[in-house]
Formats: sequence, C-alpha cells, structure tokens
Amino acid sequence: MSTVQYSFEESLAARQAKAEQAMLAEFEAGRYTLEHPLIKINPYFISPLSAVILFETGKEVAVTVTVKGKEPEGTISHTFPPAKRHILPVLGLYPDYDNQVEVRLYRGEAVTVTVRTAPLEGNYPKLISMETTASYLKDQMIFLSPSMSELATAFDYKGDIRWHLNVPTVFDIARLRNGNILMSTDRLVRIPYYLSGLYELTLTGKVVREYSMPGGYHHDKIEMEDGNLLVLSEDLESDTVEDTMVLLDRNTGETLRTWDFKDFLTPGEGKSGSWSAEDWFHCNALWYDKNTNSVTLSGRHIDAMVNIDYDTGKLNWIIGDPETWPEDKQKYFFRPVGEEFDWQYEQHACLVTPDGDVMCFDNGHWRSKHPEHYWKNKDNFSRGVRYRINTGDMTIRQVWQYGKERGQHFFSKYICNVEYYGEDHYMVHSGGIQYEGENAMEGFAVMAADDPTIRSKSITVELCQGEKMMELQVEGNYYRAEKLRLYHDGDNLPLGPGQRLGQMGHTREFDTLIPMEPCGELLPERYEASVTEEEDRFVFKAVFEGGQLVMLMLERDGEEHGYYISTARTPFNALCCGTFIEKDARKVNLSVNKAGLSGTFDLRVIVDDKKYDTGIQITV
Amino acid sequence: MIKEVNTEEFHDLMPQTLTLADFYSPTCGPCKMLSFVLADVDKSCEGVQILKINFDTNPALLEEYGVSGYPTLILFQNGQEVSRKSGLQQKPALIKMIQEYQ
Repeated sequence: MSTVQYSFEESLAARQAKAEQAMLAEFEAGRYTLEHPLIKINPYFISPLSAVILFETGKEVAVTVTVKGKEPEGTISHTFPPAKRHILPVLGLYPDYDNQVEVRLYRGEAVTVTVRTAPLEGNYPKLISMETTASYLKDQMIFLSPSMSELATAFDYKGDIRWHLNVPTVFDIARLRNGNILMSTDRLVRIPYYLSGLYELTLTGKVVREYSMPGGYHHDKIEMEDGNLLVLSEDLESDTVEDTMVLLDRNTGETLRTWDFKDFLTPGEGKSGSWSAEDWFHCNALWYDKNTNSVTLSGRHIDAMVNIDYDTGKLNWIIGDPETWPEDKQKYFFRPVGEEFDWQYEQHACLVTPDGDVMCFDNGHWRSKHPEHYWKNKDNFSRGVRYRINTGDMTIRQVWQYGKERGQHFFSKYICNVEYYGEDHYMVHSGGIQYEGENAMEGFAVMAADDPTIRSKSITVELCQGEKMMELQVEGNYYRAEKLRLYHDGDNLPLGPGQRLGQMGHTREFDTLIPMEPCGELLPERYEASVTEEEDRFVFKAVFEGGQLVMLMLERDGEEHGYYISTARTPFNALCCGTFIEKDARKVNLSVNKAGLSGTFDLRVIVDDKKYDTGIQITV
Repeated sequence: MIKEVNTEEFHDLMPQTLTLADFYSPTCGPCKMLSFVLADVDKSCEGVQILKINFDTNPALLEEYGVSGYPTLILFQNGQEVSRKSGLQQKPALIKMIQEYQ
C-alpha cells in the first residue's frame, strides 16, 4: 500500500536491445526480399524520422538507399557495402509524410517503398526562415541541440526537418571519428547543471555506448586522438559546480584522470556579472590543442578563456579583460594591439584553429568587469570572434568578428557557439536571443514562459570569405548548432546491445539530519509523489508548496541517509540546460544514485513537522 | 548560543563576541533547514553566538547590512563584518567560516 506512484525503468540501451532482437527475429522468420522488405520506423524509439529496412539478396551486392526529397534537391542517398543480408538505416525522412524511399541494387533493379511517418509531437523547433541554396548546403543538415523545451533537431537547406530526437539529450552534439554522435544522456541528475553522462548514438537513435560518470556530465566534451573522451564534469562532494574535467576511457568508461580547476585558479577572482560562489567558473566548453598539448577552457563566470598544460595542469594563459583580476594573475593576460578590438564576456564554445588562433562566441553579457558599467542587454551585442595571440610578447589581436553590427537582435546572454570550417569560413550560432516586447530581455525567458510579451529565437549564420552562405532562424533557444551529414562512411548501424560503461557517483547527502520519528502515516496523495527506480539510481518527484521543509530519507536499522529538497523558487544566474525546468515551480525532482549505498532501505519523506512513510523500499 | 533577536537586541549583542547573524524568513524552506544546521553548528563551535533575525520584521537591519535575500549569514568579529554567505549552507562550510576567525 503506497500513496507514492512507483515504477522501475529499464535503461534505454536495454529496451533498444530487446527491440533490435525482436526486429532481427522477425527478419529471420520471414522471407524478406528487395520487393518485399521488412521496414521498421523508429525501431530505437527516440529518432522518429529514421527507419531500418531489412531484406536479403541472393548474392552479395551493394545497395543504395534514397529518400526522395519533396523537390529533387532534397533527396538524400547513401550506398552501403556489399552484403547478402541488408539491415540498412534510412535517415532523413520528412515528418507526417508519405516518404518515397528507393532501394537500388548496384547496377541492378530498384524498388520504391512508401514510409509513412507520424507528425512530430510537441517539442520541436518552429522554423522562421532558412536562407541558403541547395547547391551550397547539399545533403548537409544544421543540427540544433536543446536549451529550452524544444529537442534536438536537424534542418535541411530548405528548412525542412529531417532528423529529430524525442528525448531530452542536451548540450553539445559532437560527431565522433567512427561517425556516431555524442550527446548527453536524457537522465537528469540536477537542474540546471548536469546529466548522468553521455550517449554515443547512431542517428537512428541507437545507443552504442552509454557512459555513466561519477560526477555526471555538463556542456561539452571532445574526442582525443586515442579515442578517449575529455569531458566536463562535477565533483559531487564539492560546494562548487562546473569546475571539473575528466578523461574517460572510451572502452571501459573508467575515469582515468581528473582536473579540478581550483588547482590553477582561485574562486572569486575575475568575477563576471553572473558569478556566484557555487558556480564560480561555469565551464561551458573545452578544447584540446595537439600543437601545444594544452586544453583551453571557457569560464563564463570569469569572462575568460583559460589555457592549461595538458600534462601538468599548470596555467599557461588567460584571454579576457584583465580588469579586477589580482596582481599575481596579470602576467597570464594579453595586451590588445590593433585598431579594432573588444574583449569577450561570458563567452561560450572556445576553440583553437589549426594555426593557433583562439575563437569563441562572445555573448557579451554585462560587457564589463565593473558592475557600475554593466551594459543593458538592449544596448549590447554578441558575436563570433577570432583572436590571434602571441604568447612571446603576450599581445592579442582581434582578426575577425561577426555579429556586433547586428546589435541587440543578435544578442544572446547565454549558450551559443562558433565553428571553424577553414580559413575565413565560419558558423556563428546566436541561439539564446530573447525579447521582452521589442527589446532584448534582461532575465531568462524560460522562467517566464507564459508571458505573451516574451519570445525567444535563434539565429545561425554560416559565413565564407565574408559572404553569408546560410542563415537559419527558428523559434526558441538552442544550445549549439552543428553542420553534419546524416550518413557517414563508417558503420551507420552497428548491431548488438548497447554497452553501459562507467558508473554513477555517490549522491551527496545532507550533513545535518532532522531529528524526527516516523508519524506512522503515508505521504499524503496531495503531494503527487512518484519514485522511478533505475538500475543505478532512483528519482523522486513530487509537488510541494514554496517554503515547505522537505527531506527525503533512506532508513534501515538506525542507518539514515538524508537528502534535502529545496522548495524555494531559485532565480538562476545560468540556465544552459533549461530544457528540464518545470513550468510549475512547485514540482521538485531529486535523483539519488545507488552508488555508496548497500541494503534495503525504507523510503520516508519529512514534510515540515512530520516524517511520512511511502510504503516503498529501495534495495541496493 | 542561539538567540532570536530584534533590531535593538542585535545592536546590543552583536559587538560583544564573534557573532553569526542568520537573516531568515519563517516562510522559507531552506531557512527552516538552516535552523537545524545552526543547531548542529552551535553544538560544535564554542565562542560564537548565533543571532537569528526575522527578515520580514527587521527592515532597518536589512538596509544597514545590505541584506536582500534569505537565508543570508553574516559573520561579525568585533562588530565588523568579516564573512558572508547566501543560501542554505552545510555544517562543514559554516564551521570552516567560523574557525577562520576564532
């Protein structure tokens, strides 16, 4: 008997493995041919604009799969290596459409099948405009990753949606050398900061590997030359957040090395306008530069890009406005030269070009180190910027920028990225534009979602030799944009169960427990509480009024573990991962990892002056 | 020692010893939790008095010390502010804060 709704949820990888096994069993049991193939739409549940087509041929033959465009330029094709058993991913389907998919044998016959897709549900970006040409973008897509409720989506040259995930995987989308993409998992650990780890996915949505990380994942990661992953993470035992980086073993998920940013910087130095004691660095990007064997880290809340030696972790240099930084740090800063120069503030997405220039998206938020000189957003600008640094004489020159000239209409106080495609060829993604009335908004739109005077949009621009080649505008805010092809030259659909690697860390408990005996009553139904248990954690959700004292307890034989749940409506200074923000501020969400616990625990909840039973036990 | 004080009592007591002032609201969940933490801190730390000030009924003190939200913790030594923290804090962080000035 419980008033708390309980469910156990298998991992996405496990559910997909079962579905794939069933699909292959159906394929084996039937006699599927080119003329009568087996077609499974969205077989891995999360990529509704994908399908898998399965059939056999009498001899080994290469096969070309073509999704016909709504106009000829929109056609997407891929040729797969010779085989007799063909299990082929179909990518680039249009939503809510009778897609014509041609399957053609090499120098042989072809059939065309109709693949009817469902309309996309709810949370996808609404197109405002796409300006480019089919001859320029060809079969490349502009991928947008979530920052608000709209989920990861890719647009073609015409602005048609051709790929979408229906689960909230967030932050950066990176393509790995094997062609898979790497995004966050959809397993939220804590708003707004971090997820359980990473999914390595095919574009059919299949989880090839899931990396669970002791400190979770946020914002950014990069694949190293040896395939290992350099990832931004957290120290769960620390009072600070977003100031840790780890190296993950690609094959085992084991943490090979950890960097604590407090080892080379002192919290409280060089504060940006959004600084807080807990989120003193707010690392939103990392970049490994092989030429200097160094890592560049973007610290939003210090208005600076910080470069450290990869081997020693020692500070090499800092790009940012040196004002307010202490004397002992001044030697790490650069001196601007040249006529046109602006420092970057609260920047995102640092990168180092092959010739050593340093780029970022300069959000420009506050645009000063001195509170008395902070800029209003309506007077401000954001831009992509490229700096040339001389680490010999410590000078810095601004060699390129795009966006300042667009003023507040290109201004994003948070998120965004810049991409380097080659000399004088860039993408600049201003994904966090928010208006209140006609002017740039001062707060966060996601916190005022029902206000009709507030709207948000995203502008993504590609520039080549100074010419604008593409501009995509959509409603809503998007963390980053990437230009990718749907298919790649590797294995586009590796079969077999996805691997779950690594492990979650011990969830920090509250040091002080509330001395209270159980009242003998069940948690009242009015709190709408639920517990979703997973293999390695459980998630408690409920509805409490602001100001209530709430603590979740795990108890057995005098052993007590307490997890404080805040019911305060917190104003966020940073909200890169607003995807998970609840419109109803009374809703709370607590994730407790099983790591570090052992035994069978009664789950109880303290609400104000009563400790309630839930009737639920958690066994670890 | 933990004591609930008003503005006048605060001015009387604050200069005497090392003082941790807790600006709280009775309608704030984190403030309620903090009261248990402060009780724990009080047991562990000697030589510090903990004064609780109701945010809602002592506006003059808020203005005097620039307190704009709750909970806010301010540590005073000989009447001078030496450290400040905002939001719910865990016991080790508060003990460290106090011990730096003992």
